[in-house]
Amino acid sequence: MKNVPASNPAHDPAKGQTAKLSVYVSSSPHVHTPEDVPWIMRQVVYALIPGALVGVYFFGIPAIKVIAVAVASCVAMEALWQKLTGSPLTINDGSAALTGLLLAMNLPSGAPWWLVVIGSFVAIIIAKQIFGGIGNNPFNPALVGRVFLLISFPVAMTTWPEPRSFFTQAADATTGATPLGALKTAIFEHGTIGAAPEMNLMDPFLGNVGGSLGEISALALLLGGVYLIARKIITWHIPVTYVGTVVVITGIFWLINPDGYANPVFHLVAGGLMLGAFFMATDMVTSPITNTGKIIFAVGCGVITVVIRLWGGYPEGVSFAILIMNAFVPLINSATKPAKFGAVR
Amino acid sequence: MISSILLLGGIGFLAALILGVSAVTFAVKMDPREKAVLDQLPGANCGACGYAGCAAFAHEITTNAEAEMACPAVNEEALQAISGVLGRTLGGSAPLIACVRCKGVPEQTVNRYEYVGPKDCRAAQLVAGGSKGCRYGCLGLGTCETVCPFGAIMMGEDGLPHVIESLCTGCGKCIDACPRSIIQLIPRSGNYYVGCISKDIAKDMKPLCKVGCIKCGICADICPFEAITVSKDASAVIDQTKCNRCGLCVSVCPTGIIAAVRTPGKARISPEKCKGCSICEQVCPVEAISGKVKEPYLVNEGKCIGCGLCIEKCPADAIERIIS
Amino acid sequence: MKTFKGGVHPPEEKKLVKDNPIVSFPLSSRYYVLVQQHLGAPAKPIVSAGDEVRKGQVLSEPLGFVSVPVHAPTSGKVKEIGRMVHPVTGLLAPCIVIDADGKDEWADGLPLERDPFSMSREELLNAIKSAGIVGMGGATFPTHVKLSPPKDKPIDTFIVNGAECEPYLSSDHRLMLEQPERILKGTRVAMRILGLDRATVAVEANKPDAIRLLREKAPADIQIEALKVKYPQGAEKQLINALTKREVPSGGLPMDVGAVVQNAGTCAAVWDACAHGIPLIERITSVTGRGVVQPKNIRVRVGTLVGEVIEFCGGLNEAAKIIFGGPMMGIAQFTQEIPIMKGTSGVLVLREEDTNITLYSACISCGRCVEACPMGLIPSVLSKLGEKGMWEKAVENDLLDCVECGSCTYVCPANRPIVHFVKHLKALSRAASAKSKGA
Repeated sequence: MKNVPASNPAHDPAKGQTAKLSVYVSSSPHVHTPEDVPWIMRQVVYALIPGALVGVYFFGIPAIKVIAVAVASCVAMEALWQKLTGSPLTINDGSAALTGLLLAMNLPSGAPWWLVVIGSFVAIIIAKQIFGGIGNNPFNPALVGRVFLLISFPVAMTTWPEPRSFFTQAADATTGATPLGALKTAIFEHGTIGAAPEMNLMDPFLGNVGGSLGEISALALLLGGVYLIARKIITWHIPVTYVGTVVVITGIFWLINPDGYANPVFHLVAGGLMLGAFFMATDMVTSPITNTGKIIFAVGCGVITVVIRLWGGYPEGVSFAILIMNAFVPLINSATKPAKFGAVR
Repeated sequence: MISSILLLGGIGFLAALILGVSAVTFAVKMDPREKAVLDQLPGANCGACGYAGCAAFAHEITTNAEAEMACPAVNEEALQAISGVLGRTLGGSAPLIACVRCKGVPEQTVNRYEYVGPKDCRAAQLVAGGSKGCRYGCLGLGTCETVCPFGAIMMGEDGLPHVIESLCTGCGKCIDACPRSIIQLIPRSGNYYVGCISKDIAKDMKPLCKVGCIKCGICADICPFEAITVSKDASAVIDQTKCNRCGLCVSVCPTGIIAAVRTPGKARISPEKCKGCSICEQVCPVEAISGKVKEPYLVNEGKCIGCGLCIEKCPADAIERIIS
Repeated sequence: MKTFKGGVHPPEEKKLVKDNPIVSFPLSSRYYVLVQQHLGAPAKPIVSAGDEVRKGQVLSEPLGFVSVPVHAPTSGKVKEIGRMVHPVTGLLAPCIVIDADGKDEWADGLPLERDPFSMSREELLNAIKSAGIVGMGGATFPTHVKLSPPKDKPIDTFIVNGAECEPYLSSDHRLMLEQPERILKGTRVAMRILGLDRATVAVEANKPDAIRLLREKAPADIQIEALKVKYPQGAEKQLINALTKREVPSGGLPMDVGAVVQNAGTCAAVWDACAHGIPLIERITSVTGRGVVQPKNIRVRVGTLVGEVIEFCGGLNEAAKIIFGGPMMGIAQFTQEIPIMKGTSGVLVLREEDTNITLYSACISCGRCVEACPMGLIPSVLSKLGEKGMWEKAVENDLLDCVECGSCTYVCPANRPIVHFVKHLKALSRAASAKSKGA
């Protein structure tokens, strides 16, 4: 018989003595999809590239710096933590790098490097590693980092460089308000949106507005989001329901009082809704596991986002909305268990 | 200023009132004896007693006058204390300790295949009966270490589990966890055990493991207390009720498979007391004692196996055991 | 096209053997007939070393209703009643070793000629039991038991399982193409036993040639239904659900919804047993995968050593895994010195690049396993409970409804061995029940 080592010729299968073969033995199944965790992380990074490129175009070298520092420090923090705690290194799965990129997309391009590093620390160490690493964190790490920075360094985190073409980046950037910021100021100070500067819809759609370096172009993010849905990395349930809820609720109020409320399309393209709906709320670890659960989660995110935007102190509510709904995910999961095959009623 | 102090003070007082009332209304009535018993139990909730944790057992033994002491992890002191609290004498069972009856380190054994799957011995056993060539040998994935509530068994660098004598309470969780029943309980007073349970005849076992029991029977022959049984398809077993811990079997075993729970203390002859009668040299089974008559005799510590025969036989009480 | 909820689409890989006609594997010099090749009560060998036996002679006696005998695959002499590695458990099991005399002579009276359609139900069931027929799709459940459900479970649907949803395998496909009459006639025998006037043969749509041929040959009362290609369409419960929309209740059996499912190969074997008294001593097996040099579909006697079969197919090529069955539910082996059994539908040899040996990582709650699970469970929860050995909580989370199809494990991006965890939890649960019963 081929492939049988001659070293033990006296084996007899009928006595349970068998020649050794160099093989692997595991439980079934013995084949696996090539779509593993690093693959998924890569697809999300690809989907974020258009949004990041727009950010780099409008905010220049500082945006590249923020992204680089964020990614590098997130990966370094995770590696350092795992080395110090004697845990297996998981930086190769790409999740730390992705968290870095997402954190950078949520920061103003003028953020100083130390701010970014602190944000990475909070995102990776506090929001992820101390819970047990990937899969065990209840809250979206990038958002925890961002919100921590927002509350601790409100000035640095709300200093928005004006967008300019990449090729005119030589001089110092001037700062200004984001579309939602301008809206909130107008409402607070004058009670109507009329006092806000011209709020055309094309600028936030394409990206020619102030804001976090990754959130400005609704179009770029939409392209990325569609790519993710087409590749089946995420399902349509969260983004469509989240955006739909925001549009419906803001639409109702705009119809009742067009002077006191911005129109729903504005709410769609301005601020971090596209980034949040397609990339942050859809984070697998911190969103529900069933499609019904995802819809409930997204409705909750939409409602809280609108409440904060329309009546809260902050101009933008996406980060807070998602984090608050993250807390409800275990509850949503147990409430939306799928129908078991052959359930005895 | 005054108003803030009054307001906060008032809130504090109100909160304290609510807490105080709750503490009384919702208090769980517990027999103070039960609490005292619970304090004496180890608190590891290992379940060896057969109850759902230490609190459940404390409740049972306090409320049921017929209940026996079922916790293997209480020491003599705790046993006395519990007996005192309950006002009745409780007999402890002979304390037990776990011993790992496999010494098949990876260098001395063969594997049938490369196992791929969760790092759990019970799970690995489900896959074609485990990857170790010897069907009776330790799979080395450390499930025993994971389940021990006392941290008393640890996977060593050699790929085998090792029992830490001072921590093991004989609760038996590792015995249940091992899918090959390699870990067994012996009385704490015991010391020697055969580190192999293979039922393969020597000819079949040798290609699979270089250190297993070859069932030569020398240990059974030499044992002065007839405590060892062995047959061609059953590894040697030491009957702990008959074993006197002399260690002779250890010294004659050709594969060195008989192991000790604790290193036996070797003999040391006190030169002041020794009369040079030579009885120790005569009884020593391994010829570890030498000397000239009427002069103090000397123990060769390298050869001494700590069997204690010389200590027993010395008429001058001149030999003592060095505790290592 | 009809289908069920959930499931996955692993690459089919059937082109390796699906167009290879069945070749007969030549007679071997020694056969190893395992005594336990069925689910159910054990059987007792009734021959001893030195006995002369003829092809088709009974070698063991079933000890119970849910038990079947094994038979000699050829004529010769019993060398010994030994113990060899059983492909399903990996543990040693009793095995009757026969040295062939090369004459391959049938036992007296075999093969017979009789008309199954004038035999009574009892006679037919008896013939099936005595022939040792078991489910040849792999489950090896005694066929005579399946075809005799108790009176309080009326049957109105008989389904012939020609789905062959496992990737790589084509043994049923080739049988349908080359010997459709045997399958169809066996189906009619089963219909007679169950007292039905209709039956359905279910075939996945990736076998259009077989569907066409069967439709041509099938009588009016046997319907050929094409099903959407999706794994695990061939799983009993999913098959019944796709065809009839009925769901076998949790903890129940197909007969609870009035259905009986039988593999296509089993139906062919039923015909041989009833019409000719031929016992189950050979079967069609796909020897395939890129780890074997010349994949083939072979007609092979039960008891043939797999090593000989692999050599017949050109030998191994960078083999990293040898699997009995298909890649999704098959059982990996550690040696070639094991015999082909009644339920061995495939011998699949995979190279390292064809299989998955990656270490697993933490669950990221992506939900792909939930989407894939055909039983509507949450496999990620079961995998996390499996890591901790928490079998009681797992049972509360429907552990016992898992059919171990492997769909969840196939899609899990973290490479988690979910099926292994489920098997582990089930074993812990069984051990705990045994302990409490014994105690």
